[in-house]
Amino acid sequence: MSMALTTEQYREQIWAELAKVARPDSRFHWDFSSFICDFEGSEKCSDQLLELAAITDRGRRQIFVTPDNCLEDLRYKLIQRGIPFVMTTYGIVRGFYRLDPAMIPVGDHRYAATLDGFDRYAKQLSLRQLQETEKFSLLVTGGSAVSKNGVRFGKGHGYFDFEWAVLSELGLTDSSSVVADVVHDCQFVNEVMPAEKHDVVVDWVITPTQKIHIDQSSRQHGRVFWEMVPGTEFAGLSIVAELRDIQNLGLL
Amino acid sequence: MGKESKAVAALGVDVLADAPLYEQVRDSLTRLVLERTLSDSTPLPTEPNLMDLFGVSRGTLRRAIEDLVRDGLLSAEQGRGTFVIQEERVRRVVWQRLSEVAKPDSRFDMDLRNFVPDFAGSTAAHKRVAKRSEWAQAQVIFCAPDNSIELLRLAALIAGKKILVPTYGLSRGFIFLDGSKLAASDKQLAATLDGMEKFGSRLGPGDLRKVGKIDLVITGATAVTLDGRHIGGGQRYLALEWLMMRELGVVDRSTPVIAIVHDCQVVDEMVEAEPDCLLGIICTNTQEIDVRVAREISVPQLRRVQ
Repeated sequence: MSMALTTEQYREQIWAELAKVARPDSRFHWDFSSFICDFEGSEKCSDQLLELAAITDRGRRQIFVTPDNCLEDLRYKLIQRGIPFVMTTYGIVRGFYRLDPAMIPVGDHRYAATLDGFDRYAKQLSLRQLQETEKFSLLVTGGSAVSKNGVRFGKGHGYFDFEWAVLSELGLTDSSSVVADVVHDCQFVNEVMPAEKHDVVVDWVITPTQKIHIDQSSRQHGRVFWEMVPGTEFAGLSIVAELRDIQNLGLL
Repeated sequence: MGKESKAVAALGVDVLADAPLYEQVRDSLTRLVLERTLSDSTPLPTEPNLMDLFGVSRGTLRRAIEDLVRDGLLSAEQGRGTFVIQEERVRRVVWQRLSEVAKPDSRFDMDLRNFVPDFAGSTAAHKRVAKRSEWAQAQVIFCAPDNSIELLRLAALIAGKKILVPTYGLSRGFIFLDGSKLAASDKQLAATLDGMEKFGSRLGPGDLRKVGKIDLVITGATAVTLDGRHIGGGQRYLALEWLMMRELGVVDRSTPVIAIVHDCQVVDEMVEAEPDCLLGIICTNTQEIDVRVAREISVPQLRRVQ
């Protein structure tokens, strides 16, 4: 019998466990409040992800990946397989970029998968350019912690929720879009957590040892809750200005 | 309010603007410091004079000054007055210029306070280094973890040299990479901060002696002066690293030190600071400056301090 902890308590507990398997960031060291870390076994997560129909089905394949460190190996394997993907820069500061593996010399695949190397080969996409592309079949993120019903919590999830909201507003997600969360086993919490209206609940939790499917058939269509934006780190983003522009012009 | 508005308007501040008065005074003061209307060498005018100048109350003025002290641009010295911190003034002037040519960091984007950026034209600066005899002769090179020299770290690895690179903020000590032992396809990644730890061995300060003598030190900078001062991002890591290496005897006064910067980072003034790691050569996108000569001629007091 276990009493449910508060999200704060979970986070502390998880970060203590995570520190044992995490890999430090090249800039933020062990400051888990500043980045989503890579961890031992993340390679096994990417291998499992690569088996998802949303990737293997070439007919409709458009992939979004967050700039989280635990997804570096996934990005590397996508590049190796010649599969293009869309990613944001850290903190969404410079918006969305698309990486086309065809543009990368073979020797630089691993380099292009890192945040330092990504910039060299990826091309920036305005929201208007993004609108011209296909809907996303798969969106992959990391996170601090995730519950049994697919609610992500703890530091860091705000960015992905916002990316999902923006892509949804642009009409680039639909009910068949699959959302996967890559975490270490110690970041999976076997409890049901309440979701806030702006939370994106995930369809898959992928850990080094497990691949958990969660039914999200009732997931709401994503949207930007404009009343929540002022005063957040999102308020000053160039993509926010562009999205307002697009909406004001009635281009959606 | 009538009295305040008139005088403040003279300095380009607007009581009707959205920004609070103290912020406007702070910004005006910053401007006066950066354009050197307010000098570094003498204290700021007295409080009553400044209150008069801006037409604001003592409380507003103090709040503005407290902000600037906290930000490191001013220092309030008991009984002596308030002074401009020269290094910080230089940094801010250079940051303004640098934002035109700097390339964003993968984490810090354009927040130049947190990192030394790569810049348009850095490759031309690297080529000047690669032509020098110090480079040709160097087997072991200390390379700062600055973005502006990432491709020079790569050039060193390709040339089969050994490089010693501190981790960002020295959080995980130093990384030692041997270009002659790395696979050719790994070198590009090994030259980045994200990749170097995958390939190099980690050394604590105590292990530095294993590296042997360091033949050359290469660094980026926020700013450099023509008398060979290195001004970093504010935490003075290079000075600390230099001290560690000197204590262990792997560098000494004869070790050549080369800085890679954009022209806009070269400052023609002397900075009063502890002489730690003095630069010998500055390579920029357009020129190569031997500052040892300038130092011998124009700054005799520095030699005395050494």
